[in-house]
Amino acid sequence: MSTHHPTDATLAAYAAGTLPEGLAMVVATHLHFCPDCRRMDRVMEATGGNLLSDLAPAAMAPDALTRVLARTAEAEPPERPAPILQSGLPPPLARCEFGRWWPVAPGLRWRPMKVSGRAWAGLLVVAPGRSMPKHGHDGLELACVLRGSFVDASGRYGAGDIAEPEGDHDIPPRVDSDDPCVCVIATEGVRMRGLLGSIQRMLGR
Amino acid sequence: MNGQTLRFPRLAVPTDPPPRRAIGRVRHFVGFRRMSQAERTIAEPDHADLIRAIADRSDREAFAALFAHFAPRVKAWMLRSGATDGSAEELAQETMLAVWRKARLYDREKAAPATWIFTIARNLRIDAVRKERHPDTLLPDPADEPDMPAQADQLLHTADTATRIRHAMASLSADQVEVVQLAFFQDKPHSEIERTLGIPLGTVKSRLRLAMARLRSALEDLA
Repeated sequence: MSTHHPTDATLAAYAAGTLPEGLAMVVATHLHFCPDCRRMDRVMEATGGNLLSDLAPAAMAPDALTRVLARTAEAEPPERPAPILQSGLPPPLARCEFGRWWPVAPGLRWRPMKVSGRAWAGLLVVAPGRSMPKHGHDGLELACVLRGSFVDASGRYGAGDIAEPEGDHDIPPRVDSDDPCVCVIATEGVRMRGLLGSIQRMLGR
Repeated sequence: MNGQTLRFPRLAVPTDPPPRRAIGRVRHFVGFRRMSQAERTIAEPDHADLIRAIADRSDREAFAALFAHFAPRVKAWMLRSGATDGSAEELAQETMLAVWRKARLYDREKAAPATWIFTIARNLRIDAVRKERHPDTLLPDPADEPDMPAQADQLLHTADTATRIRHAMASLSADQVEVVQLAFFQDKPHSEIERTLGIPLGTVKSRLRLAMARLRSALEDLA
């Protein structure tokens, strides 16, 4: 059972579909682990449905219904489920495309996820005892632990927990599990310091 | 149009899944009655019957009624989130086409019609406007669904949920409604919501948190 959850603002943005894709993938990963947040997601979706019902209608084109009815006769484009690409990862990450692993620092490996939108995302593997790179935040950052655990000033994060830090990390999160800690991370803007910062600047992100 | 002309007989269909839990059904009917008392507008269960009629017999009249209600509202949503009239119109039409095509997948035990159509429109909008995906669209296979305590999850899906949330929303302050609407209908980061409303981000977040706490508590005795 997870003990760290996304904020309501983040869950609302997820249900409303305004969260950038990378961040939404991290929230969806947490939902896979957390029945409470799945409940809340449904509350949010029902809220969206109610808000939709309450909107003042906007006039449709006069032939809108005729046009849609005409199109119902068209052959339906075949709907193929996205293939499972990473059987070791929980849904929906299992169906996401990833780049190659990059050794970014001693005890630190990064694998970018192919997502569109203003957030970037990927998997981060950190060796036991190591710390996450020091960084500050310009926008929303979300991390969901898949395996292992880490600790920071706000507590301990195990499998399924989501970290939604605000502002800069005073103490960078440190892995306290015996095995490497695997996280899926997405961020709208991170200013890395040190080695990872130079890589970030080299890659132009 | 009124609720009477839109009511379609509920048909016994061989493909109808057997009721899994009597309690879910009972709650569903309780929700139905409350809704009719509380709402003078078209009640949600009527919309569920319309979707069923589309699924069962490609009922164009039922579709027209559903279209008349939802297409202009989906379009209004798209306009509010910044779409041009042309693309809002197109997305509303695409949403209704998807409603026709997916009608067979609709399960009234799982979501109120407005909730279901909301998620269809949401996913289409992300795909068309932002060229992104919602994770839901990567989960087409029910076998993917994690094993969950079915009852807690399932009970929340009923029309009763929508009714309870509707009542809880009616009890929110105007300020709270404003942040909830912005959170849902404006495709903007919270920092921009702050600029739109002219109030600090902390206030936006705490208003939203209070509003959501109220919606959450409206469902607590269902758990």
